[in-house]
Parts: sequence; structure tokens; C-alpha cells
Amino acid sequence: MGLGRSKPTELIPVKIVVAGGFGVGKTTFVTAISEIDPLGSEAIITQASYGVDELAVGGDKTTTTVAMDFGRISLKTGLILYLFGTPGQDRFHFMWPELARGAIGAVVLVDTRRLASCFAAVDFFEKRGTPFVVAVNTFHGKRLHDLEEVREALQIPLVVPVVYCDAREKGDVQQTLVEVAEHALTRVTGSVPG
Amino acid sequence: MAERYQPARLVRPYAITGGRSGTDLPLIELEALVCSTPQGQQMRSELRWEDARIVDMATAPLAVIELSAKLDLAVGVVRVLLSDLSDKGAIEITTPLTAEDRDMDSAAYTDLLNRVLDGIRSL
Repeated sequence: MGLGRSKPTELIPVKIVVAGGFGVGKTTFVTAISEIDPLGSEAIITQASYGVDELAVGGDKTTTTVAMDFGRISLKTGLILYLFGTPGQDRFHFMWPELARGAIGAVVLVDTRRLASCFAAVDFFEKRGTPFVVAVNTFHGKRLHDLEEVREALQIPLVVPVVYCDAREKGDVQQTLVEVAEHALTRVTGSVPG
Repeated sequence: MAERYQPARLVRPYAITGGRSGTDLPLIELEALVCSTPQGQQMRSELRWEDARIVDMATAPLAVIELSAKLDLAVGVVRVLLSDLSDKGAIEITTPLTAEDRDMDSAAYTDLLNRVLDGIRSL
């Protein structure tokens, strides 16, 4: 090589999806831990790339501009972890299958003042079989509700972790991502990782 | 999030791809890593502007979504360009393990998840 850069085969991309209702703190969550400038994280998604079905339904409207949040975290273990925030608005649900495709897991971020806004995300990942954890965003450090109350309100199975997470705090975000990886491992191996 | 002001384009996005939307091509994941090859660097001067920029930007691995954001081009357009560049040998694309791969080799997938876990823990 001679340029000192690594061969592409040495680095593997992995992805975790961050979902939740509009304004729940997904952008804050991604920005808290990403190594790339959040200002660069906008992309134009074209519906044409999501298959011809949408085109047939959408008539001659072929493009939609979407502000897409994504973050990058280089891991020392030879991986690049990408975090993808799902666009919160209902009209962008058509993008969720592609964002979730190949994801090792997902975070459903919850605002306890607006619990209903995360139902769609919980349903989506349950139906898909994507391992997910529920992270209750403690806006300004306030823990307004007991985690088990949230679990019951959302009807989350006991095997799915429900955690607090201040989306502004890198440490909290990191711990939530650890929970995602551990939960995904548990699903694959059937036992709790050490 | 505020809508960003965008000046009108001089070139319609899919004019760059010759009108191809790429729906006939295998889908390249948003997080797939693109890295330019030595051949890509050599043929750089023969490439069109957008292709040359991709080769320049991807001297270190970059995800499809990052290229799309940096080029300010729709992901669908970028996928067509990447597919052509890959056919020419100008870039290599590393795709992630997908759900289908996992079923085929769950030991490899467990190993991958352990690397993710260790990597996040040691941030």
C-alpha cells in the first residue's frame, strides 16, 4: 500500500438505529457521541432509491429532502459504528426498513411526557425482530417516571432492557449503546455476556 | 430542524447518472464503506468531476451516507456512481454483515457483536 491507510477489508461497518418520536432527542443522542461534525449530517434521500413501488404510488414526485442524522464512532476493535437517527415525522416511515436493514440493534428513545410517540418504533422493531433497548431520556436530569412504570405503559417484555439516558451526556449514551450490544449478544447466544 | 436553504441546481440530480435511478443494481447499504484503490488514483484524471471527488474523498474509508452528505447528492445518485466506479476497479466497497449472513454463520456474528461491545466499552 505504502500510503499507510488501511485496506477496506480490515474495517467493518456496523450500524445501530436510534428511533423515537419527533423531538425526543435523537439528534442530541447521536451528536453526544459522534466523532463527526453534526452539521455535515444532512443528506438528500431520493424515494427512487426505495424501489419502484413508491414511485408508482407517488406519481411524478420522485424526490424528498430529508434531514438525516447520522454519527460515526471509530471503535478500537477494527469496526466503524454508524448511528442512524430515524426521521421522527410519520411521513418518513417509508425509510425505516432501509435504515433498520442490517442494523445490529436499535435504541428507542422515549420522552415520558409523550409516551405514545414511540409506539410506532417499538412495534416496528418487535415485528422485524431487531434487538432494541428502550432509553428514557431524562430531560435536564429529571427522572419523572419509574422505569417499570414505563415498561408497563409501553408493554415492553421483561427481556428488553429499559434504561435511563440523558441524551446530552456521552457517558449515558455510551452505556445505552453497551446495553444494545449486550442485548443483541444475548439474543444470539442465549446467555448474558460477561 | 430548520430547513436548509438550497440554491437551485444547474444540473438535475439524475442527469449525472444519465437518468439511471439504480433500481436495477444491487442495493449498497448506507453504511457500506467506500475506499478508493491505487487504480482509482491512477485513473483519476480520466474521471468525471463527481467520480474524481469520490476517489479523492475515499482515500480513507467513508460510508455511502457520508459521501452523499459531503457531495450534497441524493443517496440514489451516489449509489449509481459508486456502482460504476466499483465496476471500473476505482473503488472497493466493504458491505456490512446483513441479517442473511448472520443465519449462515452465527459464530462470526457473535464474534462481531463481541467486538462491538468491547469497542463501545473502551471508548
